Amino acid sequence: MKTEDQRLSREQVGSIVTMLRLTTDRELNCSECLQHVGEYAETRLAGKPLDEILAGIEQHLELCPECREEFLALQQILKAGL
Amino acid sequence: MTPNEINWPAALRAADSAEQSAAMQTLREVLQNGLRIALHGRGDVSEAHLEDFAQESLLRVLDRLDQFAGRSKFTTWAQAIALNTAFTELRRKRWHDVSLDALLANGDHLADPAMIADDVLGADEDRVRLVTVLRQAIEQDLTTKQRAAILGELREMPFDQIVELLGTSRSAAYKMLHDARRALKQRLQEAGITGADIQNAFNL
Repeated sequence: MKTEDQRLSREQVGSIVTMLRLTTDRELNCSECLQHVGEYAETRLAGKPLDEILAGIEQHLELCPECREEFLALQQILKAGL
Repeated sequence: MTPNEINWPAALRAADSAEQSAAMQTLREVLQNGLRIALHGRGDVSEAHLEDFAQESLLRVLDRLDQFAGRSKFTTWAQAIALNTAFTELRRKRWHDVSLDALLANGDHLADPAMIADDVLGADEDRVRLVTVLRQAIEQDLTTKQRAAILGELREMPFDQIVELLGTSRSAAYKMLHDARRALKQRLQEAGITGADIQNAFNL
């Protein structure tokens, strides 16, 4: 049956529930994330504390798989020393 | 001079066109080298793709030069833009043949109670109750477009693709999704299920 074939997996339902847990009234969007993710990556790499904006970036990265994918790639580049 | 020693905003705005061209060429190489590292091992990315991505990224960086606030290294800021450029294009290629009808059909599917099995998170009473409340909220509190966007994201459809198909702006689509998440969260809270409950009980 079509619906059964397309049923959500445990991981997908878990993703929805996790997203809801992380949802707040004020969130940064992807454009704001792109503007600050470089600073966030450098701050994390240096082991420094996050200010309010960077804490917002961290929350957005938990919610947004696309920005998270790009952040992880950026980390790779920074770790390579470029 | 290493890339980190260059005053990039000044060099890229230089009145001397030779200096400006040299800076652009160097930055293009820096971006391409970064993309080569980040996209290494992907079968769908050739050296020609890297060149195209680097060129497109350079134009986006120049277009946004005024937005660089100096809170990170310039090259880190520019690499983030390059990665966004490259990944956006790669995601778009993967999903290029999805239609609006198919996306909205997703929204209808997600309203079907059979889409989420009672015991998908586990068979104990608390987990089944969470799933029941969630399922009702998805069916009753969300629009077809909101359900479609959520299911599209769960299936890793690029956000830009969802925005394009829905014929809206990025910020409007983000608000639509944010409103949907807040509505679902409120329904869980009204049922006495808090974020802390979810984290503690389900270790998510």
